[in-house]
Amino acid sequence: MNSSLLTPSSSSSSPHHLQSPATFDHDDFLQNFFSSAPWPSSVLDDDAPPPTSDTAVPSFHHHDADSRNQITMIPLSHHNPNDAAVDVNALYSGFSAGSLPFHFPQGSGGGVMKQSHTQTQSQATASTTTGGTAATPQTKPKVRARRGQATDPHSIAERLRRERIAERMKSLQELVPNGNKTDKASMLDEIIDYVKFLQLQVKVLSMSRLGGAASVSSQVSEDAGGSQENTSGENQTAAKMTEHQVAKLMEEDMGSAMQYLQGKGLCLMPISLATTISTATCPSRNPLISAVREAGVSLSPNTATTPVVNVKGASVATVKDASSVSKP
Amino acid sequence: MASANKPINTDVPEKDVFALHFLQSLSNLRRQNTFNSPEKTNDRVKKIKKVAYVSMARAAGGTNRLWSRALLRRAAKENNKVVRFPRRKKRVTCLRRRRSNRRDPVEEEEAERLRNLVPGGGGMEISKLMEETAHYIKCLSMQVKVMQCLVDGLAPK
Repeated sequence: MNSSLLTPSSSSSSPHHLQSPATFDHDDFLQNFFSSAPWPSSVLDDDAPPPTSDTAVPSFHHHDADSRNQITMIPLSHHNPNDAAVDVNALYSGFSAGSLPFHFPQGSGGGVMKQSHTQTQSQATASTTTGGTAATPQTKPKVRARRGQATDPHSIAERLRRERIAERMKSLQELVPNGNKTDKASMLDEIIDYVKFLQLQVKVLSMSRLGGAASVSSQVSEDAGGSQENTSGENQTAAKMTEHQVAKLMEEDMGSAMQYLQGKGLCLMPISLATTISTATCPSRNPLISAVREAGVSLSPNTATTPVVNVKGASVATVKDASSVSKP
Repeated sequence: MASANKPINTDVPEKDVFALHFLQSLSNLRRQNTFNSPEKTNDRVKKIKKVAYVSMARAAGGTNRLWSRALLRRAAKENNKVVRFPRRKKRVTCLRRRRSNRRDPVEEEEAERLRNLVPGGGGMEISKLMEETAHYIKCLSMQVKVMQCLVDGLAPK
């Protein structure tokens, strides 16, 4: 029954993307298969979210009812062959109608359309799956296995799962800044760091709203240092120690003092510059925070977003050396 | 078979909703007597932080999202309150878990870290976890923006 096949150009106006099946193991179908474009190998990693197939399916069944033996329409988005997809359910119901030739104008048949090794077997699975899905055609687009791979449900589920994960990974990539890493592991690292950073921001913002002077400086310097939960007393001493160290070093040699600070992720700058920066970025601020900002700017390399503040006492040193501060 | 792939919905309400909830909870907090004590700023910090998260959870989708549910449940437990959520579609998640596999140990390490960060991530598999993470990130950034605006607006000149 090699009746004429319609290309669904009419339906290309509808913006569907359906999850594309891997292949079809059907003999007649094979013979009628032709493909112009290469099979989108990345079709399974496609980020086009599968739309609701609700709108697609009614058109199927309508056509099926009309010309059951002749034509089966498959809505495809012809505009981008990479996103072309087929609603598998309609194809399955087409199968049940009895070895209909299908027009499958997407993807490369070349790689896919090898001879089926077990046609009967695949046909058996097709019919069983058809029986299963006939009941719920509207909700469950299914994925047929690729040629040469197992058709058992586990691997299909596995593949679906992987697709889903890749899809979500893509959407996460757009959210996270610096999401241009292709490696999944490094992308996950970025995501984790970003979540940590956002949580830290919430914490800092909730602190700054209080205007609690001592706690702010100590807490925030602790954050700049390593974002760990310490008692504020402990951190104040740590901050003072840094101050003393820096003061000592500055007496000897400016360069080593700067190096020491840089090792800690801090730098010295003249108060005028710090004031300019702080007023430029945030016009109205808690006076403590602006005073602290005068002292220095934290230079953590990885997270440029760490809250800025530095040891309060360093402003003293900066005042002394306002004229002679050299750029790091 | 695994359930259908519907388009992922990670819409987050506008800033106003977040701001509204946050301000409401802050004013509630202010009414407490112990709030404005000069010492124990650490406690104040923690309270505000908790309030921020809870208001975010409530604003961002209430009980529709797993992470918000877990957050609210955790907060309620601290206050010794019992929170009840309407349970929906429990059966579907069970089915899905049975069918899919949680293999791939390389991913699992990262997934473990993510689960520790995102509230309520303990019992989820990776795809669901990533969906929740995306929504969580959006809500967190929204909350940060809201708080930043508040701080800038209310800080003394």
